Amino acid sequence: MQAHIQGAPVFAHIHVDLEPGETVVAESDAMSSMSADLDMAAKFNGGFFSGLFKKFFGGESLFVNHFTNNTSGTRRVTLVQATPGNIRQFDLNDASICLQPGAFVASTPGVKFKAKWAGFRSWFSGEGLFKLLVSGSGTLWYGAYGEMLEKHVQGEFIVDTAHLVAYEPQMKLKVQLAGGIFSSMFGGEGFVTRVEGTGLIVVQTRSMSGLAGWLNPRLTG
Amino acid sequence: MNINISHSPGNAAAHVHLQPGESFTAEGGAMIAMSSGIQVETTTHKRGSGGVLKAIKRALTGESFFLNHFTAGQGEAEVILGTQLVGDMITYDLAPSMNLIVQSGSYVASHPSVDLDLSWQGFGKALFSGEAMFWIRCSGQGPLVLSAFGSVYPVEVNGEYIVDTGHIVAFEETLNFSITKAGKSWMSSFLGGEGLVCKFNGQGTVWCQSHNADNFGTMLGPLLRPRKN
Repeated sequence: MQAHIQGAPVFAHIHVDLEPGETVVAESDAMSSMSADLDMAAKFNGGFFSGLFKKFFGGESLFVNHFTNNTSGTRRVTLVQATPGNIRQFDLNDASICLQPGAFVASTPGVKFKAKWAGFRSWFSGEGLFKLLVSGSGTLWYGAYGEMLEKHVQGEFIVDTAHLVAYEPQMKLKVQLAGGIFSSMFGGEGFVTRVEGTGLIVVQTRSMSGLAGWLNPRLTG
Repeated sequence: MNINISHSPGNAAAHVHLQPGESFTAEGGAMIAMSSGIQVETTTHKRGSGGVLKAIKRALTGESFFLNHFTAGQGEAEVILGTQLVGDMITYDLAPSMNLIVQSGSYVASHPSVDLDLSWQGFGKALFSGEAMFWIRCSGQGPLVLSAFGSVYPVEVNGEYIVDTGHIVAFEETLNFSITKAGKSWMSSFLGGEGLVCKFNGQGTVWCQSHNADNFGTMLGPLLRPRKN
């Protein structure tokens, strides 16, 4: 399998060239074009109950698509996320990473997804009760609205809740108000996420809620 | 006439350089800046042909009702063109031997010797292709400017190729497409969120846009407040 990310950083999309017998798994509606003789099948996102669980509690799609090359030559499928922005490739090698809802774009079949309890605090901030833990071996592609930047955290770090994309599983997340009641309400930050531990976090430079927040007062009829 | 694209692919603009007396046609609203000596004429049709009927047909394609014709005066001149959404622009040199079918929202500008006509692709395609009801059939000779939401990648089709609805920018007329299911079964296609797709067959090039403006809109829409009346 050969994957080329093109159009980065603004309009990243992935051209995946599948060899005979190979499969790539992609988020629902991520396919923009493909060879007509590739086989596409919708499957539950990790089994029926697990899929339902992830949809209702993890904010993920109930179904994912499996693109399989049953021909005898190389075939291409092109995948993309709904928002403009960058896409990253992450080689798992038995490592694991937690993704925020909506960040998943595609993976190789050996990658496993599990919804894990994230706590009530996370639910209050609109992030859902569960977090998505990605493990196994293979390649994961995840994306964001805008560019993604990595931060090695030692101790603790504060991230605006809408900007967190991914983090290493040993990191602990706590949702809190940005400042006091006053600055949280009027400073425009609202809830923030306090990340504790030693490890890597990935944040996106823009957020959809930020764009909507800018547009909303301007939608006068 | 000489056209170059700058700031590709994020925020592309097309710079059209005109020799004295030269002219070209652009979609209404596409001009973002120009030299002062340029004469602009707004019509509902290609200059010297057609009429209101053609304009109505063009409005139905989702294009602006009006076309602007820019003509350079005594000296050389430049017109800079842009589009509403972020994304790339491409130029295409039309040859008389190969017509181009353009998704109507992607048309930006063309040389006066390029003929623009509507191409009705049939009811099924009009309703289900996720594109506008009509397509613009470009014939004749000369440069064209097209735009996209996202970046543009060409696919050389020889046989069959699938493009998701909402991702087509333009295709050569030697290709034909039909609306079909993406997966092996209808069930799988709808459950997987891909729904209907366009299946191209024949031999030629289709230009795809990397991103889908409808999907982005669907994601942004629920975050927006309802409009107060």
